[in-house]
Amino acid sequence: MHELAFSARVVWALALRSLRGALRRPQFLAPLVIFPSMFLAVNVGGLTRTTALPGFPVVDGFLDFQLAGALTQSLLLGGVATGIATALEIEGGFFDRLVASPIPRTTIVLGRLLATGVTAAGQVTYFLLVGFLFGASVKGGVPGVLVVYLIGIVAGVGFGAIGQAIALRAKSASSVQGIFPLVLVVLFASSAFFPRNLLSSPVDTVAKYNPLSYVADGMRHPIIDGVGATSLLEGVGSALLVVLVAGAIALLALRGRLREA
Amino acid sequence: MRASLIVIRALVRRALNEILRVPGAAIPGVLAPTIFMLGLSSVFGEASSLPGFTADDFRTFVVPVGLLQGAGFTGAATGVNLARDIEQGWFDRLLLCPAPRTTLLTGVVASAALRALLPATFLLIVAFSLGVHVPTFVGLLIAAALVMGLACAMACFSVTIALRFRTQQAAPLMQIASFIGVLFTTSYAPKPLLTDWLRTVSDINPVTHVLEGVRQGFVGGVAWEHTWPAFLSIALMVLVLGALAARGLRRYGV
Amino acid sequence: MAAIDVSGLEREYRGGLKAVDGIDLQVQAGEVYGFLGPNGAGKTTTVRMLVTLLRPTGGRATVAGFDVATEPQKVRRKIGVALQEAALDQLMTGRELMELQATLHGIPTREVAGRAQDLIGRVGLADAQERRVGTYSGGMRRRLDLAMALIHAPEVLFLDEPTTGLDPTSRATLWEEVRRLKNDGTTVFLTTQYLEEADQLADRVGIISAGKIVAEGTPTALKAEVGLPHLDLSFDGDADLARAREVLAPLGEVRDVTPPGADVSLGVREGSSAIARVVRALDDAGLTVGRVELVEPTLDDVFAARTGSHLEGAGEAGAAA
Repeated sequence: MHELAFSARVVWALALRSLRGALRRPQFLAPLVIFPSMFLAVNVGGLTRTTALPGFPVVDGFLDFQLAGALTQSLLLGGVATGIATALEIEGGFFDRLVASPIPRTTIVLGRLLATGVTAAGQVTYFLLVGFLFGASVKGGVPGVLVVYLIGIVAGVGFGAIGQAIALRAKSASSVQGIFPLVLVVLFASSAFFPRNLLSSPVDTVAKYNPLSYVADGMRHPIIDGVGATSLLEGVGSALLVVLVAGAIALLALRGRLREA
Repeated sequence: MRASLIVIRALVRRALNEILRVPGAAIPGVLAPTIFMLGLSSVFGEASSLPGFTADDFRTFVVPVGLLQGAGFTGAATGVNLARDIEQGWFDRLLLCPAPRTTLLTGVVASAALRALLPATFLLIVAFSLGVHVPTFVGLLIAAALVMGLACAMACFSVTIALRFRTQQAAPLMQIASFIGVLFTTSYAPKPLLTDWLRTVSDINPVTHVLEGVRQGFVGGVAWEHTWPAFLSIALMVLVLGALAARGLRRYGV
Repeated sequence: MAAIDVSGLEREYRGGLKAVDGIDLQVQAGEVYGFLGPNGAGKTTTVRMLVTLLRPTGGRATVAGFDVATEPQKVRRKIGVALQEAALDQLMTGRELMELQATLHGIPTREVAGRAQDLIGRVGLADAQERRVGTYSGGMRRRLDLAMALIHAPEVLFLDEPTTGLDPTSRATLWEEVRRLKNDGTTVFLTTQYLEEADQLADRVGIISAGKIVAEGTPTALKAEVGLPHLDLSFDGDADLARAREVLAPLGEVRDVTPPGADVSLGVREGSSAIARVVRALDDAGLTVGRVELVEPTLDDVFAARTGSHLEGAGEAGAAA
């Protein structure tokens, strides 16, 4: 029990440190929301008429539909940022200092993930506010908003774990940055931006198996329709799946790193 | 004049050298526009069935967007590289050489024009192999010239930013500018289909003319009425942004 | 005409901080001028103004006869510069960098390769010239930097802390090259935070502190200002001290010092050559000398006398001297 309390304190301290670092370098934090915001704006501005396409779900507007896509994109970028921050820490030597201190190793990974979770809550808040400001509404009401937060935070932590796993293997910030095109591919091969039944082949098939589709649809459903058991379970389930798989890989990568050293 | 050309050539060669020696760093920049083009067309492809859409195929419609995006990002990368050179002190060395300032600027910007052909070529190869309609030679030539022109204009802009902030941390500023410049146009749909605000923005945005100039080779056909506004817009952008960059260079170290 | 002529030079940053606060100095053609001062004293700011990278906010400076503010282009043709960071493109090979530098300085195309080869050989990098600069050691980079600065045979060479962070061997190599340049008649303006470097290389030294020149002159003259070299002597037992003072009195100026450093201090104008004479005199008088140490004033003493504080790294350089 005593051990656990100590670990919790360490995780909290490391998370606070990560958050402070992020807030003190807003130039790294800002792109996480600016790029998806711009993309959201141009998608809505250019494709607003697509809601009239046959097979498109009933929505108040294309903005309501796109909100979850922008949020998913932002959370993915947050995962890349977590990876870059970890890689910079490794390059700068701070990581070694942490490893050399008498704290449980897992807290190094968990601390940063906690910070990513808090950042994810901020991202959800930002996009919901942007949505409200430009006339979108959450059909699911307060429970719907809570569902968006739940899935957003869990998915954000999962993407952060992916970023960390890559950073722990790659070790250099520039190679973590190099995965950016891959992020685009994964994002486009999902139903984040458009209904799955309207995607072209073969992307529609890929999207069916892409957990990102379920994360995005899980957050979209309470916005455009209402809280439903299926989308909630699918959304939370796929987000948790990402957390567990990526988290395990990150912890294994950490162990691998320590063995090399 | 001849001496200036030699200096410009040397600077361009150094910039191209970088691509060959660290191909890994250049790959994301080369791939991204193609991925973007493929992604957009797979996701939003159905949009071309909307009434009022000018192209039968959404992919053909967004190939020009990808081409200009490659140019925009190359321009931004030029600024990021300059910021890195400033951070590492290499830029001081350039400033110490007795070549005129405009020559140095031309060298930096000209390299962006050449580098921009790389993502464009890659994108066209992928697009054509997927069955996108191949434009006429004149259409391709116009597209290439406009891509190089936009890379120059965006390079001038990001060089100005780099000279002002002198750190690579200003990179998102350069990238966002090129992102907005290229996408806040008729990138996704013909003007009548855009929302009111985006239609207004695309009316003002000179890149819209450039995009239509590139697009005419792919959708419709080459016509003088789409060609001259494109080149006039590019000329004005290079002139204005180039003047800003030259001013930034003059003020550097003051 | 002076190769470098500076009067009232100032650089004020936003917020009113004066990094350089009214500097006057002249460097004659063919002279090696050492600009000595601690970190943050204004050395690099001064150099950046003299090489046209930074515009002065006050005063005037000419280099090779041209005004740095109004005729920067002409100044650039006459000067060679090796800056502190030894900024080199890591992806290029040594030879490529030399040739690029030659091109940027307007060397005719047919002469570029030859000139580059010549200088690469001179700084001992012929074997490494086809390797990328990223693989070079710190010393090799500085040498390449120097070779690049010399590509257009400049009249005035600026070296900003050329040996900071280098190992002793690389430092010696660079010193050798500076001496050779001096023999060839090149004017050299050298900033350094190492006393020994200024002492060894410079014909004249200017000491800068907080943006102002606090002392200037030949190293010998500057050191003479703060006092004579002296011998610190200690004896076995304390009964002999009175005798010792008597014996030493005719040999120089005797001062008492507090043990344990020494018992007596004797000022000797001729420095180390006095040791034999002094020891013999004491021996003749039957006094056993426990320890003799020659203490010479250093440029750090000059700095300390003028500013009340010490130079960073003074201990290190003092130990080497």
